[in-house]
Amino acid sequence: MLRGGTAVLRRAASGGGHGQGQGPAQPLEPSLLRFLVCPLSKRPLRYEEATNELINEELGIAYPIIDGIPNMIPEAARTTQKKPPAEGSKEPEQ
Amino acid sequence: AAGLCPARALLARPGAALRALCGSVRGLAAGPEMHFGFQTVTEAERREKIYQVFESVAKKYDVMNDSMTLGIHRVWKDILVRKMNPSPGTLLLDVAGGTGDIAFRFINYVRSVRERQLQRKLRHHQNLSWQEIAESYQEDKSKSLGDSQVVVCDINKEMLKVGKQKAQHLGYTEGLSWVLGNAEELPFDDDKFDVYTIAFGIRNVTRIDLALQEAYRVLKPGGRFLCLEFSHVSNPLLSSLYDLYSFQVIPVLGEVIAGDWKSYQYLVESIRRFPPQEELKAMIEDAGFLKVDYQNLNSGIVAIHSGFKL
Repeated sequence: MLRGGTAVLRRAASGGGHGQGQGPAQPLEPSLLRFLVCPLSKRPLRYEEATNELINEELGIAYPIIDGIPNMIPEAARTTQKKPPAEGSKEPEQ
Repeated sequence: AAGLCPARALLARPGAALRALCGSVRGLAAGPEMHFGFQTVTEAERREKIYQVFESVAKKYDVMNDSMTLGIHRVWKDILVRKMNPSPGTLLLDVAGGTGDIAFRFINYVRSVRERQLQRKLRHHQNLSWQEIAESYQEDKSKSLGDSQVVVCDINKEMLKVGKQKAQHLGYTEGLSWVLGNAEELPFDDDKFDVYTIAFGIRNVTRIDLALQEAYRVLKPGGRFLCLEFSHVSNPLLSSLYDLYSFQVIPVLGEVIAGDWKSYQYLVESIRRFPPQEELKAMIEDAGFLKVDYQNLNSGIVAIHSGFKL
């Protein structure tokens, strides 16, 4: 935890919106979607709310979001079974 | 470089290890052998071992930083952010930012700049119309950070977890996001960020050249690269004292405070293996950055390298 004495709790002025829930299905910080791309192909991703994943349709892989933190390590991505990826997926199945 | 550290001579193994030692990191084609501190390992092993080091130290990371550097690491990080001098609206990518030290300082900095801006505005606009006053209420409420944002990217889950908890504990909620990602393969689009920082992280990256290329890619034109890292001390007396402290005191502290001698032994060794100032400068230039320069802190124990994407 934090040393250095007085942990001054600075509440954000605009009472920062998103909930600090403990559940595993913490939503993704919406502003992140502006920047995030697939680390392999650098192409845009689609946020799938149902499974809380970021999907790269082209390569057929999905990156999980755990505790609100997207896991963008290719090895952690799973292949989506819907359609076989055109170029042949590089991802090992989780 | 071998002459700087007497301990290295003792630990060095013949053959491949020595070759790796003397070889320029820049020219190192990723052959099967790499260094993990003073050991020789394969690239895959190195990544694994480094991951484990930080997984192990994550919870005690901040405490250890304070103990090892006697709190001076805070000053180094303050200097980095002051050098950055971010204005409100800046988009920062903090790579290997694990526990959030740079991110929090960035937020504090832009917040105070923003406050000063607003104060100045108020003083000069005493004769606002009622319409303007009403508008100003709507504007200010959502812009205490002035649209500044920091994305913290780290490859290690445990470090990010600690960072996120710290953020909640300290009350940092807006303008801050966390991403699990690899510096060598960033999950960010091109030309997106104003500033890219990597503080005490690049030393642990296996392919530094790739990380630098990625840094270049994700920065906007005009964007700045800033690297804060342990570097090389040229003063021989200071260097000997530094070596003594590093090899005799730090691993012991690691054992006593974090129950982990080996990780801190790795830390100390990795500092010795890391390229010195000029060599890192050349690597940064190789990635395409211009106006690359460095600033030594504490006689070179730490250095801040800076470059621009122009």
